[in-house]
Amino acid sequence: MRKLIEFRNIVKSFDGQVVLKGINLNVYENEFVTLLGPSGCGKSTLLRILGGFLKQDEGTVIFDGQCIDDVPAYKREINTVFQKYALFPHMNVYDNIAFGLRIKKVGEDVIDQKVNRMLSLVNLEGYEHRNVTLLSGGQQQRVAIARALVNEPNVLLLDEPLGALDYKLRKEMQRELKRIQQEVGITFIFVTHDQEEALTMSDKIVVMREGEIQQIGTPIEIYNEPENEYVARFIGESNIIDGVMVDDYKVKFDDKIFDCDDFGFKPNEAVDVLIRPEDFDIVDRRSALMKGEIKSVVFKGVHYELIVETISGTSKTVTMHILAAHDTYNEEAGENISANDFFLDLEDVGSLEDFDLIARANAQAWDNEENDLSISEVICDLKAEVGSYSCTFKTAKGTETSIVIHVVSPTYVEDARHNIGISAFDFFVTADELKESMAISTDLKTWANAEAWNLQDDSPIDITEVKYDFEPTEVKEGSYEITFATKGREYKVETTSMHEEGDKVGLRFDKEDIHVMSKMVNE
Amino acid sequence: MNSFKRMTYPYIIWLLVFVVAPMIMIVLYAVTVSGNDTIVFKFTLENFARFFKDADFLRVLFNSLRIAFITTVICILIGYPTAYLIAQQNENKQAFFVLLLTLPMWINMLVRTYAWKGILMRFDLSSEFKVFVGMVYNFLPYMILQIYTSLSKLDKNLLNAAYDLGANKVQTFLKVTLPLSVPGIVSGITLVFLPAVSSFCIPKLLGGGEYVLIGNLIETYFVTTGDWNFGSAISLIMAIIIIISMFFTKKIDKNQQED
Repeated sequence: MRKLIEFRNIVKSFDGQVVLKGINLNVYENEFVTLLGPSGCGKSTLLRILGGFLKQDEGTVIFDGQCIDDVPAYKREINTVFQKYALFPHMNVYDNIAFGLRIKKVGEDVIDQKVNRMLSLVNLEGYEHRNVTLLSGGQQQRVAIARALVNEPNVLLLDEPLGALDYKLRKEMQRELKRIQQEVGITFIFVTHDQEEALTMSDKIVVMREGEIQQIGTPIEIYNEPENEYVARFIGESNIIDGVMVDDYKVKFDDKIFDCDDFGFKPNEAVDVLIRPEDFDIVDRRSALMKGEIKSVVFKGVHYELIVETISGTSKTVTMHILAAHDTYNEEAGENISANDFFLDLEDVGSLEDFDLIARANAQAWDNEENDLSISEVICDLKAEVGSYSCTFKTAKGTETSIVIHVVSPTYVEDARHNIGISAFDFFVTADELKESMAISTDLKTWANAEAWNLQDDSPIDITEVKYDFEPTEVKEGSYEITFATKGREYKVETTSMHEEGDKVGLRFDKEDIHVMSKMVNE
Repeated sequence: MNSFKRMTYPYIIWLLVFVVAPMIMIVLYAVTVSGNDTIVFKFTLENFARFFKDADFLRVLFNSLRIAFITTVICILIGYPTAYLIAQQNENKQAFFVLLLTLPMWINMLVRTYAWKGILMRFDLSSEFKVFVGMVYNFLPYMILQIYTSLSKLDKNLLNAAYDLGANKVQTFLKVTLPLSVPGIVSGITLVFLPAVSSFCIPKLLGGGEYVLIGNLIETYFVTTGDWNFGSAISLIMAIIIIISMFFTKKIDKNQQED
């Protein structure tokens, strides 16, 4: 194939911000090339430079062997389909399409033939005299394509042309565009942030990020052999795990060494390991490479998406004491009040406000009509010492109840290998409070004051899991264990077979399903 | 929504009292003879006949239309390039230029016209020229602002699309920018032609008394002669001419958009 366009070290900045950091790219004849990346990665800027609407700060654009840096847009043999179509609102469909030919002073009879050919190419026969502003998005799109193609350009640039269309129409236009490209046999350069669009239509995908090209390849190459974590995440669903390349063909992750097809890394180089969700097989635990528990099952139409946890997170188990109801009723004021004893971390004593105490004791007051009342006074004499202290909650009318706060030394679980600390305390609640809870996991976390944090920098870590073995609506007095845990090592798995949440399963994959990538620099 | 509808009542009442009622009175005056009271109306078309029979009156009418037309054309010729240049600037500069344009409007038109009288007195110029200077000066900002508004709303991508399809700057202007700014020109014409054709203080002050336009004629019959019936008839004739001319301008606008 003949090289048609060559970008040589294109640099462009706006207001001191560099949006293209030296782009080198070749585009060949009859190729469908997609520039793929999130908004702000510079893909549209590159397209506008090629179209002649922007001038690069550095570098050269070669078109068909000629430098076109100083050729104005209207002299370039390139046509563009703009993001929002940019159809001329004061012209009908026919005049829009004929615009370029009339500029070139082509005879009206030739124009008529060419416009009609274009209209049938984009399936808009009979729309000649329609007002373009009254067409649907898909039809405007087709007019924009016809208006560009009628000039018989060597290259058609398409700047996110399908962004404004709904899902079904977008699918249809994807097929349509591919068909048109194959029929007219010219180079299409297509800009999009939609990875699926890129995979379906392109001969070649250029993945961009922050003004740099990350990878150039066919859709299959980009999908199966992404250069780095960024490309892997951008294209398709993926599991990306930290690993270490122990030796050629040997990679270690999840505390195990696996055979793989990759080589050429330094011994013990830290790498990213990619396994696509569809490459996992769910098998018997005995023949498994990894064992885990199914955390969630989501039905996706053709397949199920499972989350399988192979290594559980850091956890802490506490005891929940269910008490008998112990409301205090103040007959004079017609008010009820209730509150529960609780355990308090010695380190937290100084930092608690009244509202913290109310939340921790789950103090509530209500009148005879079950209207909630506010607790106006908290009388408490806490000392920063281990021991038990009395605490009284009062309403404005003097209805009160007293509880005991047990101040205890903190008890952490520290997981040095994953750098996670987690703490939680035993607590007291009544069966009714548990039944009335609207968000049980969140309430249990509050009552137990469950927290997890990064041991190195003290930043908080989410507690993603609250495990208990009782039915909240049918709970009776007694003691129950509750386990709080952070997120463990989880894999996304796609399967067509049916599984239940909580199933213990084995995972298998072939060694060619493992793809090892170098760690990205500057991250 | 109903409560919003109710908010328009004050304006509707305002319209009825200060626009519709006077209009009805003008029509009534125009078709009756003087000396009416609330009970007796004498219907007549004599007022209109008197106007059209007199060559002097017709000459004044024609002259007014001619002056207004030329004023409008000059406003477009000066206003369009000015508006175009303003719309090319960055946003801060645009705001600044728009402020400069509107600034003279903060001063009463009569005062501004008196100022021009003082300036133009020093030169030996024809009354008609002085009237043109005053008219164009007073009405130009309306033309510029209307055209500027339609130009600044123009999607820059349409221009890029035209360049992309091979049009150079001149072709892009003629085929895209100009047709799409026609609505601005049309509303500019409305805002300039209407007040220009009926203006009476500008010809009175700058034309030095001997220069009579239809606005002055109406003024004379209402204020000096006290013949309200004839004055109303002239007003009505002018109103009808204006309505007809507006109808045609709107038509041009429509045709442009359908092309």
